[in-house]
Amino acid sequence: MASDFLTRWRYRLVPDKIVGEILSKNWIDSAIPFLFLFAAVAVFGTLIDNMFTAGSVSGLSRTIGEYLLIGLGLTIVIMAGGIDLSIGSVFALANLMMLALGGVMGWPVGLAALAVLATGGLIGLVNGVLVGFLRLRAFLTTLVMLIIVRAVVDTLLLAYTSQISSTEIITPVWDFLAFETVLGMSASFWAAIVLAVLAHIFLTRLRPGWHILAVGGSRRAAHNAGINVCRTICLTYVASSMLAAAAGIFYAARLASLGNDTGLGLEITILTAVVLGGTSLGGGRGSMFKTVLGVIIVVIITNSLIRLGLRSGASSLVLGTILLIAVAIDVRWVKNRAKLLARSYVSPTYFALPPLQLVSRDPASPYAINDLLSVAEPIGVGQVDGPEDVILDADCNLYCGSRDGDIIRFFAPDHRQSEVYVHIGGQTLGLAFDRDGSLLVCVGGMGLYKVTTDRQVIKLSDETNRSWLSIVDDSRMRLADDLDIAPDGRVFFSEATIRYETHDLIIDALEGRGNGRIICYDPRDGSSRTVLPGLQFPNGICMVPDGASFLFAETWACRISRYYYDGPRKGRVESVIPDLPGYPDNINLASDGNFWCGIIGMRAPAFDLAQKMPGFRRRMVMQIARDEWLYPNMNTGGVVKFSLDGTIVQSLWDGIGERHPQVTSMREHKGYLYLGGIFNNRIGRYKIPGADPDWTATRAYWGAAR
Amino acid sequence: MILKTLTLAGLGLALTTGLALAQDADSPGPAYYAALEGKTVGFVPISMGFDLTQGWLAGMQRQADELGYKIVVRDPNWSVESGIQAIQSLIEEAPDLLVIQNNDNRSYNRLVQQALAAGIPTIQVQQRVATPSDAYVGPDWYDIGRRTAGALVSACGAGTSGKIAVVEGATASPASMLMLAGINDLVAKSAGITIVSSQAADWDASKAFAITSTVLLQNPDLCGIAGFWDVADTGTAGAIREAGLEGKVVLATSGGGNREAGCDRVASGEFSVYHSYNVAGQARDLNAAIKMLLQADIEAGSAPFALISPLLQITQANMTPSSCWTLDELAKMGG
Amino acid sequence: MSAGRGRVAQEQIILGIAVVVFVLFSVVVPDFLSGSNVISMVQNVSVLGILGIGMAITILGRGIDLSMVASMSVAVAWMLVQLNAGAPLSQALPLAILFSVAVGMINGILVAYVEIPAIFATLAMGVAVYGFGKFYLVETDVNYLPEAWQWLADIATARPLGIPVSVIAFGVCALLAHLGLRYLRDGRFIYAMGDNPVAARTTGVPVRVLIVLQYVVSALIALLAGLLMAMLVASMNTRIVSSTLVYDVILVVVLGGISLSGGRGGIGSVVVGTLLIGIMLNGMTMLNLTYTAQNVIKALILLLALILDTLINPRDEQTAQQGDI
Repeated sequence: MASDFLTRWRYRLVPDKIVGEILSKNWIDSAIPFLFLFAAVAVFGTLIDNMFTAGSVSGLSRTIGEYLLIGLGLTIVIMAGGIDLSIGSVFALANLMMLALGGVMGWPVGLAALAVLATGGLIGLVNGVLVGFLRLRAFLTTLVMLIIVRAVVDTLLLAYTSQISSTEIITPVWDFLAFETVLGMSASFWAAIVLAVLAHIFLTRLRPGWHILAVGGSRRAAHNAGINVCRTICLTYVASSMLAAAAGIFYAARLASLGNDTGLGLEITILTAVVLGGTSLGGGRGSMFKTVLGVIIVVIITNSLIRLGLRSGASSLVLGTILLIAVAIDVRWVKNRAKLLARSYVSPTYFALPPLQLVSRDPASPYAINDLLSVAEPIGVGQVDGPEDVILDADCNLYCGSRDGDIIRFFAPDHRQSEVYVHIGGQTLGLAFDRDGSLLVCVGGMGLYKVTTDRQVIKLSDETNRSWLSIVDDSRMRLADDLDIAPDGRVFFSEATIRYETHDLIIDALEGRGNGRIICYDPRDGSSRTVLPGLQFPNGICMVPDGASFLFAETWACRISRYYYDGPRKGRVESVIPDLPGYPDNINLASDGNFWCGIIGMRAPAFDLAQKMPGFRRRMVMQIARDEWLYPNMNTGGVVKFSLDGTIVQSLWDGIGERHPQVTSMREHKGYLYLGGIFNNRIGRYKIPGADPDWTATRAYWGAAR
Repeated sequence: MILKTLTLAGLGLALTTGLALAQDADSPGPAYYAALEGKTVGFVPISMGFDLTQGWLAGMQRQADELGYKIVVRDPNWSVESGIQAIQSLIEEAPDLLVIQNNDNRSYNRLVQQALAAGIPTIQVQQRVATPSDAYVGPDWYDIGRRTAGALVSACGAGTSGKIAVVEGATASPASMLMLAGINDLVAKSAGITIVSSQAADWDASKAFAITSTVLLQNPDLCGIAGFWDVADTGTAGAIREAGLEGKVVLATSGGGNREAGCDRVASGEFSVYHSYNVAGQARDLNAAIKMLLQADIEAGSAPFALISPLLQITQANMTPSSCWTLDELAKMGG
Repeated sequence: MSAGRGRVAQEQIILGIAVVVFVLFSVVVPDFLSGSNVISMVQNVSVLGILGIGMAITILGRGIDLSMVASMSVAVAWMLVQLNAGAPLSQALPLAILFSVAVGMINGILVAYVEIPAIFATLAMGVAVYGFGKFYLVETDVNYLPEAWQWLADIATARPLGIPVSVIAFGVCALLAHLGLRYLRDGRFIYAMGDNPVAARTTGVPVRVLIVLQYVVSALIALLAGLLMAMLVASMNTRIVSSTLVYDVILVVVLGGISLSGGRGGIGSVVVGTLLIGIMLNGMTMLNLTYTAQNVIKALILLLALILDTLINPRDEQTAQQGDI
């Protein structure tokens, strides 16, 4: 149909999903201040002639450098959940001390600067001890410190103004700080940028930096986790005061000013910059990059307002309003981001399924419904929770995963007794025995793991190559699903989707896009590479015993395909069954040379139709509650046996739906079929009439050697 | 200090004379108007919105409109940092002349140097920095202090307690320091006069009110108070009135001679003696300096001069309707 | 309402310090104990105290109002501008009241509905209100009370029964606020809200409306303080916005033991805090200490009070509120 054609190309060409994916990024928080900056530059650049000439920018860089130094300190304090109002006064004291020590006392500039920094550190230490160790309130304590230091500055000014006024510091270093520029920017600017980068690395990559964020995020949790909360907090104040003192030194060099309003109200300006950047008061959220943005915005706006030559009050009015708007947007953003993200992240696209085949109790149908599985005898009822995959070893012990992150072993021969074989930590979704008898496991949310015969858990792979154009980070594994092992030891495993976590996997069905992939782990060099991207929820994987290909099921696409990883057809994908009437899951070998495949749910005409209407699904996601969405059926299914040429040989159902309404996995072992279900509370054992009572999959695949 | 300013003033006078001679004797001629028309003058006060700066601007603007040059005002609104940015941006834009009001004698020092280096003639108003620029227009603060003290000394002679209090400006402000020095020097020379309190009100009326009311409680027999600025001393006067000592305590202060801030208070008896540095006159001085510098073809900063504002003593006895000015009058016919 | 152990303790500490300082000054400073000086002590801080009452109401409801000084100075200056232009008081005063109510409402809406943290909403509002006032309403920094209205100043400086009007105003304000918070339903609700806003909301307290109300009340109290201030010195200087007055107000409030996280403390705390500051300022002025030295001593005593409070009521890692700065 023409409209289907248009829809298909519309959704193929327009990558809707990037909107949601960009919104899901952490750096998107910086987008708002970035837009602010862009707007400020655009507006004031047009309003004011030569606003951004080299000389003008160079002049701005001095103010930006000083503000940024202070801003970095305040950001650290705020990220740790505190606030430092004393920075303006410390800044003024540093300015005064620098001029007094360098000028009147005649100390060398370096020594004087060190003394000033030490004084700043000392004031910070007092703040830090009071707030961090004695646990005074940060707001009040630093407020009092603001008044004390300011009064000290006033007193010193009173006593030494005339002396300091009459002396000047004249050394090359001082003149460099004061007048020279590097690449058109001031020394203070470069110092601040270098410090910002270092601080960023410190906060995001080093343990003490994490401690700061942890304390800010939740002081109590940090305390309980063993972080020395008091010391961490104390040190943030030391850092803040020292940075303010450093800014004061640059200010002294720039202006040699003794004005008694130096640094007055500076704390408000810097606080505005930090919050404008997007660092949240109360701690735990923020970054250096944001503060850099915030400081640049504030300096550009204030400077532009002065240059516009408006009457007194105009600049206050604009600044106050901008602050209000910025904070309002920030608050609404933080509050609604998750909601917005949840809705805009789901990005449906066009997908047409082949015609739906009739499934009924009519024996003529290849999928004829019967009640064979309703007589399967139960194993471990109540002892297992969600055994997605089951497997048996050579001694007939039965293994299965559980939702609690364990692998449980039921002992042969009757599988009545069980033990926790190992605790892996995530839900096991795929199991396979290696040639040497160790168990390879796909763990949802974690990756590919190996359990050796002496029960050691070894991580084999939890990341693959990052695709260049993917916005979401697809190098980490979100949903490793099923695996099988090639004769040469390479492990091919499916990752069902790169866009959703395990708990949201059903939403992936609404997209109708190939979000999954098959990854190959090579034990020879320990590398992992994506071999088949863009699959629709790839699930079961089963080696064809030809040493060159494997079968894989794509759940939402309702099809089974064959991929050649070796041999003359290497790299090709061939369709085996293109039109299953339900959603396939794991695939395993059968004793007669055919394959078993679990069906977890049956297609329904309404959902099939919806898959062809991405606009409808998008409206559904945007407009109605999640519980009301149209999902694929996930509670009726069975097992089919098919041959390599795609013929359905047999189908097994629990028509009554009491014991095995849906099957995610089945293993044939010595004449029995063992059944697992991801929502089931048991494992089923079904006697296959006429099956080889000695055949086991492991032996059949790895050969009689074992 | 006085000697130095006098020399500077003398120099300025000489310069004026020299300039006048260079011109055509009778009519200014087209050269005069051409030298001024289309020029740009940058003005950076401490802040707009108070009597002094509003007065200067009104006077300067009137002349600018008449002679066809432009005045660009940048209002830092009391912030030194904003003032620095304003001056820096003006230097960038290279006006033909800069008029800067200093906050203190230090903050804008480097900027004045930069402006002169960029070849922009610079006038400093009210306070000046160490670097001498082309012109200084403002009062002699030390002299104001001496005269304020003088008024109190003559009022608090024999028969009174001889106690006076000083309500200072901001402690770190050079203007305030110079006035205080003038007062202290004179009081030291006057027998029988003692300063019982000397505290800074930070140019703020409420703070002046608080300080004065406490001082009056401590010294109910206080004879006089030396105020530093009329605007803040409305608070001082309020405290005197509140203590019921109106007419018993002599309040001597100074200011720009705005009618509401100055003469009205003298008329009501709140201020006993008022020294005005007459913003209307200062505006005229500014205009003169602007005209001279825009015409003079000299290197910026090469011949600095000062125009020290003459002081008017205003009391109830000698006050006339023209003793003070209002903004309307200045805008219409000032400068 | 939580009448925690902490509140009583800190209020008592401050009261104790106030008494000690008072006794100390009585010994050291002559005439300190004279009746007129004791009155003056309170008088000089009564405007501060009135502002403190407004601030206390917002802080009790887990807010803060940093825009008080700006809204008060602009409203009063605007009123003076109108009077100077010849408008009658019956026009100028209602407009000033309207202005204050508007500022309070915007504050409240920003905090309650837009959900901006109070400290930021009011900080930014303070800056914006000052700018708005300077740009549209009040051209000059200092605005004088015109001669014709001098009787207003006379009222403010009058002393019925020997007690200055400003002290009476402070006392009446404190009493009304105390009674309102204690006996009015909305007053009790403010405590409930400050104690636990979520619980208050769940139990049916109209939290958002109440937040708006508390900012309107604080803006009106600020206006009252501003009128008093302007009448005392016969002028209003809008530059007061950039002074540290608002910090002093906060200190007066928290000094007495009102918790910045809301719900703890009462108007009594404000009165005690104001008295301590009053005693200290007065005594130090009488000792002829310079303004800067007074600031150092004042701040050190405040720090001492904070430390004492923390030593007596240590904060516990397990119960400390997150984001409570």
